[in-house]
Amino acid sequence: MALPIPRQCLNMVKVSLNEIYSETYKAYRSVGVEWGIAKDSAILSKWLGEYGFNFLGSTLKTIDLYNKGSISLSLIENNHQKPFYAALMGLPLVEYVSASKIKWQGYVYDYKFLIAAMAIIGKEQNINLILSDNKKTIAYTLKKNIYMFKEVMTKTEYFYLEPFYYKENTNIKALKPPRNSSVLDVNEKCWEKLKLLAFKTYVPESRTSKSGAGY
Amino acid sequence: MKINHSKIDFKNSIPLRHPNHVMKLDRLGSFHQTRLSFSRQLIDELINNKWNTKIIEWNINSDGIGNAVIKIFSKRKIYSLIVFCHQINDNERSDRVIAEKWDMTFSLFLGTPSKIELDILSKNLKIQELGRHIPKQLTLSRANKSVRIFNSVLNDLSNGKQPDKTLINNIGYLVRTTAVYGNGKFGIADYLSNTIDGTLNKPFQAEMLTVYLIRYFSIELVNFLAKEQGKDKAARLSDEISRHIGVGNATGLGMAPFLINHPKLIHKWIEAREIAISRVLSIRKLNKYQKNKILNLIEKAYLYTTQWKVDDLIQSKRIKNLRRELKKIFQNEELTNFLEEDFPLQNIYKCFENNISIESQEILNSIFLEPFPELINDLCIEMGTVEENTFPISYNVEKLIEIIKDKYNWALEININKTNENYFFWYTSQSKLEPRLGITDKDHGIEKQLPFDIPKQVQNALKILIDLPLEMTAAEAMILHPEIRSILKRVIINDNYNFSEIHNNLLGKNMRPIDLLRCKLSFFGASKYDPKSNLWTRITLFQGAPLPHQLKEDKASEWLFPYLVNA
Repeated sequence: MALPIPRQCLNMVKVSLNEIYSETYKAYRSVGVEWGIAKDSAILSKWLGEYGFNFLGSTLKTIDLYNKGSISLSLIENNHQKPFYAALMGLPLVEYVSASKIKWQGYVYDYKFLIAAMAIIGKEQNINLILSDNKKTIAYTLKKNIYMFKEVMTKTEYFYLEPFYYKENTNIKALKPPRNSSVLDVNEKCWEKLKLLAFKTYVPESRTSKSGAGY
Repeated sequence: MKINHSKIDFKNSIPLRHPNHVMKLDRLGSFHQTRLSFSRQLIDELINNKWNTKIIEWNINSDGIGNAVIKIFSKRKIYSLIVFCHQINDNERSDRVIAEKWDMTFSLFLGTPSKIELDILSKNLKIQELGRHIPKQLTLSRANKSVRIFNSVLNDLSNGKQPDKTLINNIGYLVRTTAVYGNGKFGIADYLSNTIDGTLNKPFQAEMLTVYLIRYFSIELVNFLAKEQGKDKAARLSDEISRHIGVGNATGLGMAPFLINHPKLIHKWIEAREIAISRVLSIRKLNKYQKNKILNLIEKAYLYTTQWKVDDLIQSKRIKNLRRELKKIFQNEELTNFLEEDFPLQNIYKCFENNISIESQEILNSIFLEPFPELINDLCIEMGTVEENTFPISYNVEKLIEIIKDKYNWALEININKTNENYFFWYTSQSKLEPRLGITDKDHGIEKQLPFDIPKQVQNALKILIDLPLEMTAAEAMILHPEIRSILKRVIINDNYNFSEIHNNLLGKNMRPIDLLRCKLSFFGASKYDPKSNLWTRITLFQGAPLPHQLKEDKASEWLFPYLVNA
């Protein structure tokens, strides 16, 4: 099933963070993403929404590619044509790097999801990680905060992710969610598309399942 | 009498009951309201911080149609219950969550709504789930009149009479809610500390405040309509009867998965309750006031059961047993001796535990907690939590295997290949968008089942783990096997939060979903559980609770086991 991704945000609809989480979770499940991974992905989308990043187009694209079999969940099978999809495996990757204390490198698609994952593990477990490309630092976590140096782009780039043991001397401010971030505007068409995917996880009720359920 | 709990050595409290004992559905499904229940917490908050309630708009006509705004405020905070009353036909009135019309629709609002906001609410509240709502709305709800009692009460009041107490007791409410949504549903505010601060940032406090104000509105509405109809001869509901009127609620399967989807939160609720039980059972001596209080509460519980009448055969039998056993306890000649001895409550519990039903054991626990707010109320602040999204990274395969073998023995013992252990499957229904239960060999949709097959997942995970190197990190195991990531995260949660798992197979033929509902509803503070099948129940909330003008009265916070004299 190919999903055309609307590029323009013309009509907007207000959604809550909880709606982002629950609809994204179900939408990933609708194409068979494992429960644990679908939940992680929904958590990352919710974080991005809360911090004012666009997440919806990337989410729809990831779901579409996963459905076509174009995405692998493997960390080993990684190249420019088949990059690491941070939207799906961002959280497992940051946990893996943190637990194993290793430097991971590879092609990453849509690395804002990886930044979200770093921010979450940084805040919850006070783990310091640094993400960089060939030239410079892109983002790092320190004392439960996330710091970013680069405008987030949605494309495949080669990155390094590793634990971080020293304090960077920078003047940038930690990323904070904007005020009133619990409800945000999203593209109505994209949102409806996501909800349609979520709807596929529902089951028409049968006569037996209805009996005695308040009818 | 006040207890200075800093002088009580909690380290010497008796151990908490084991999760294998507590987390069985038959016990969870026997819980009753306690001092820690959320409706009780709300009333304590309203009392302690001197909240006031005022109707600031009342545009209801003599047919009961229109809108109203009820403001509730403390020194620091203002909320408003926005009410719209609609004209509907009797045949449009339904308990079903997918009904499209209701007698009344509500929203708890942050602050006082402006005219523009009220206009938005007037268009969207009446269509509930189909509307788009605004972030100042903390909840979204609707209710129908219980037509029989509402009209009867209205008729009596307009003729200057108080309504029949038996009718009031048998039904217990004038209106029945069919849903109270919170936490970001349909565009309303998310449950976040920065949107719902201080007062309402404990679990379900916004929902409880909504229901409490709906109850107040229902009483004011019937009084108003009686006055409209009866003019000078009309009476107002007496305080005694008003206080016995709660809010009805029909609760179905939609509520059940909450207990599975929020393992850490459920642990917090159950653990707080178990710590409270442990603390009171560890009390060495009771003073005279406390002894009398315990005796009075046992008697009050007995009286409560005499007015708890249901059609359901299983629950009827349980209530009958409960009544008989409470009487036996109350009439036992040893009871007063036990109260004189060291560790009186522990001795009473031990003496009767093996001779009474689980329903009676758990009502004893509610009784024991009641006289000791100073000893247990600190636990209320521990009942909320933030669910973590990552797991502690120190876990490895060896540790995961150890936890599963140690703490999931209940799941490993289940023969998951038996037909009866796969009798049900859980799914989300297309028509209600709510969880439902299907029968595996009859209903379609099993490929979309929800992941509530915990024993099966645990057994599969163990099979995978034992083939991995013991020193491999849990994180690496999850990367290699994303299919077990979900259950391994549950296992890790359970290692740190003992009460996070229900120790039954939720797909098994013997599973009673009503037990899941009752457990959650007991934490809400429901009373008079009235099961209509294994799948749904009616309940009453806030029956016996003080009305807004009674919040300043002495003992306003004591409303366990509502009982209406001469009903």
